[in-house]
Amino acid sequence: MLYPWTAEHATAMAKSRYQEEKALPRLDGWFLAREIVCDHASEFAGLPPEQRAAEELYAILTELPLSISEFSIFAGSQSDAFARSYALINPSFRVETFSGYCDPTAVYNDIEPNDEFTPERIDRVRRFTKDSDYIRALTEVYAACENDTAEVAYFIEQVTGHIVPDFRPAMKLGLNAVIEKLDTRAAEVNEEQRINLRAMKRTLEGALLLAKRYAELAEEQIKTADETRAAQLKLMSQTLRKVPAQPAETLYEAMQCYLLMWEVMCLEQAPNPFAFSVGNADRIFEPYRAAENLSREDAAALFKHFLVFFNVGDRSWAISQNLIVGGKDVKGNDLTNETSYALMDAYLDMNLPQPILSAKLHKGTPDALYEAMGRFFFSPGVLTPSLFNDDAVFKLLSARGVTEEDLPDYGIAGCQEPLIMGKDNGNTTNSWLNLPKILELTLNGGKSLITGRQIGSVVTAEGTELLADIRNSFYKNLEVYIDKMCSAANAATRAVACLPVPFLSVFMGGAESGYDMRDTVHQGSPYNGSGCLIHGLSVMADSFVAIDKLLKERPGDADKLLPALRADFKGYEELHDFLRSAPKFGNNIPAVDNEAAEIARRVSEMVSAHTNDLGNPFRADWSTPTTHLTYGYWVGATPDGRHAREQLNYGVDPLYGDADQGMGFRILSCMRLPFASMGGGCASHLGINPAFFTAPTKEGKGLDFARRVVRPLFFNEQNKAFPPFYLYVNVTTPEILRKVLADPQKYAPSGVYIMRIHGTFVNFLDLSPEVQEDIIKRLDPKSTTIQ
Amino acid sequence: MTLAVFQKGFNYVQDGRGNRLVYHLRGCNLCCPWCSNPEGMEFSAAPGTPVSEIVDEALSCRPMFFDGGGVTFTGGECTCQFDALKEALTLLKQAGISTAIETNGTAARLPELFGLTDELIVDCKHYDPGIHLHTLGASNETVLANIAAAAAEHPDLLIRIPLIGGFNASEEDMERFAELFLRLGADRARIELLPYHEYGKDKWAKCGKKYTVHDAFISPEQREKNEDILRRHGLTVVRT
Repeated sequence: MLYPWTAEHATAMAKSRYQEEKALPRLDGWFLAREIVCDHASEFAGLPPEQRAAEELYAILTELPLSISEFSIFAGSQSDAFARSYALINPSFRVETFSGYCDPTAVYNDIEPNDEFTPERIDRVRRFTKDSDYIRALTEVYAACENDTAEVAYFIEQVTGHIVPDFRPAMKLGLNAVIEKLDTRAAEVNEEQRINLRAMKRTLEGALLLAKRYAELAEEQIKTADETRAAQLKLMSQTLRKVPAQPAETLYEAMQCYLLMWEVMCLEQAPNPFAFSVGNADRIFEPYRAAENLSREDAAALFKHFLVFFNVGDRSWAISQNLIVGGKDVKGNDLTNETSYALMDAYLDMNLPQPILSAKLHKGTPDALYEAMGRFFFSPGVLTPSLFNDDAVFKLLSARGVTEEDLPDYGIAGCQEPLIMGKDNGNTTNSWLNLPKILELTLNGGKSLITGRQIGSVVTAEGTELLADIRNSFYKNLEVYIDKMCSAANAATRAVACLPVPFLSVFMGGAESGYDMRDTVHQGSPYNGSGCLIHGLSVMADSFVAIDKLLKERPGDADKLLPALRADFKGYEELHDFLRSAPKFGNNIPAVDNEAAEIARRVSEMVSAHTNDLGNPFRADWSTPTTHLTYGYWVGATPDGRHAREQLNYGVDPLYGDADQGMGFRILSCMRLPFASMGGGCASHLGINPAFFTAPTKEGKGLDFARRVVRPLFFNEQNKAFPPFYLYVNVTTPEILRKVLADPQKYAPSGVYIMRIHGTFVNFLDLSPEVQEDIIKRLDPKSTTIQ
Repeated sequence: MTLAVFQKGFNYVQDGRGNRLVYHLRGCNLCCPWCSNPEGMEFSAAPGTPVSEIVDEALSCRPMFFDGGGVTFTGGECTCQFDALKEALTLLKQAGISTAIETNGTAARLPELFGLTDELIVDCKHYDPGIHLHTLGASNETVLANIAAAAAEHPDLLIRIPLIGGFNASEEDMERFAELFLRLGADRARIELLPYHEYGKDKWAKCGKKYTVHDAFISPEQREKNEDILRRHGLTVVRT
């Protein structure tokens, strides 16, 4: 079709739209949404929970004030679903005071009172929110486990967001057809399911209402618009009169439909449903681009607006929204298409902090994709895709029970967690396990080395006897803590089930099952599990091996270990040097690498032996989304020589500074880990000096990167073990980043310098100093030398 | 038998084909003023690593020997630990690992290693025996004999000239190098010119030694001109 803009014009509008969003002084929409719910409380009080949730959402979609920016070519926004809350990009973030997101009413502290939003008005909604089954249940859960969570032996949380919805039916069939299906299904099921399906239908009607309201607003704006803008608004209004009710036929219609669905999904879980993710965006949109044979340039122009949508407020407060290109089908055919490259063009030109880009790679990934990625990796301050090994993830998910036909549909929910689009409620961040803290408690009779508080240990051995049997003692304690953690995590999941999500459930299998995806009694989505993020792998391995070395080489000094840990090695400097000299993971030293492998295997087994209320296993996820910092803060000195309160190692990586033999040895150590047992995911990062790549073009460097890093790591024919499947990189050096911090005007004149941190990318300049320092530290250049 | 190693790590195509595990062996019989690894010049009394351990480590690294990679020994001067080096190369060859050495070519026994190395990298720092002796502390006679022997017998010979301004990098120097290589029968060998750099300069002070080279950088244009001179003589010039 002929669009009322050129690619160049649409691009300029997208950039203006982003600047407009970045200049937003406040984010109050989420509060208005909650206030609308509060206002209707008595009206919906007696309804079944699913129906009440649907009516609440319908009320929000009816009453929430809407706007369309003069720079928008699509209607819709998710800015009304997020508060200025997320810790890492909040300049006030401090490692020592961060306590997780366990209080859902803390968000009311993030809204600054003014004449319109008075303290009384805010407090009324806060009190309403507090007076709910959800908050009561959650408060009880956190109170019960506070002894263990205060210093993070483990942590648990209620999971919102963190899903890859499947909106393809809405785009392909239209909501009218989906509603018909719900009606048909309602006639086949029991009364409880029928109520649920009616509630789901009600939310779809709400989405249709939202489209109508936006259409009316666009039509209103036409009256005062100039000719060019009027043509754009006319297309917008015509499109909104068509989608999402009816099937989308063009790329523009498909995107408009998708964005409206996204807005409703976020409003349903407002505030702060982090980490909702798009999944395989190139495959989702390519049929519509191909149908109208839209050029790569014109498609990229539309995608620039699509990408801007995911940026909320001044610091892109909606974080970890993951979008993927590339990958393969079950027969191994590559699925990269024209839309993959159009999307990457849009990403490169816009260079926004959100949504985050990932690339699925496999043995047959075309060179063109690596060349396209080279443009990202080798442009300073530009976002970089994280990398997934499709060949390995397919096997991983098969082992998790995913059917063959669903394998290509895995997406990444948030950072690194592979979930099947529209079918998998992975409850991914439900529980968090801090292995070195439990080692500390094991060594110190259950007492914290940080505060002296008695937290708990079931081990009675002491002294050399304890050290000689440290592995058994540790695992004995670990079992107890995992039991308690899973029990508390399940209680948090039951709490969040007090807040059904009928709209999202339609696109997560609920339209067929008739049950809400959060239901903990009946399984609403085809796949279900609960996540456990496990911290401190290499610190543990290095500690066990250091203890072995001490007992073997200096048995007479064994009784000094615990006093040394208590003193954080002050007065025990010589012993500290000895412990530091023990082999460290990441240098291709079999003894310590195999220890890490054994810990990973055993702990994964212990975690996945536990189940949630639906009987599905906890998924061992060896990733630490900056919690290696916050959890490390609560861990005393460890036998590997790590000082008290220092960060733990990131994901499955060596502790920074401990692997100093270069990339080759580090990759060999990494290959020894049992990735097949990391069913929930894993995380690894390489900070790579761009000087290692000498091809004259960025595209050429991209191919070099594939040859020298990706293929050896992911697709190594000499590696007979299950290969690594996730990697993110920052191609820079500590020196470069320090220059950027010292003179941002010079090195980042746009005010945006994108870096990756864990699975998300962020504007480096927006981060708190401690997180900036973490990024610099973990570049760990000696561990990645390749020449 | 043991090998004294002062540094190890992987690099890609710089010291042999593909991705290679490179062992820098301690001790050198020359004293090149531009040396980038002065910390490896001295012979150490410290105990070395058993050859079997080095071979085991290399075997564990097989997954990283991609693109035809393998193990390279360099230095210091790797042939200063000749017998242990020979044993290591023998064991690695037996295990099917691609082997290479980078040497200054001064070891009289070097031909014993021809059959044990898939790639032989020999430096030729100067064509003139007197200048070689005066600047580096040893004559180049053995070097040239080894190059002649390798050119005749070794299937994969790479001759490297470190291009040092004021020492060996003029166009006239290149003419002399070219004549020399043709005289030695090295017309089928690959030849590489390595421009002067100062990556090792700071290490000299750390080692308590004085760095004496000044103004030795070579422009990219001069490098290309020098390469052209060699090519005009029918020699094969490469950049790795």
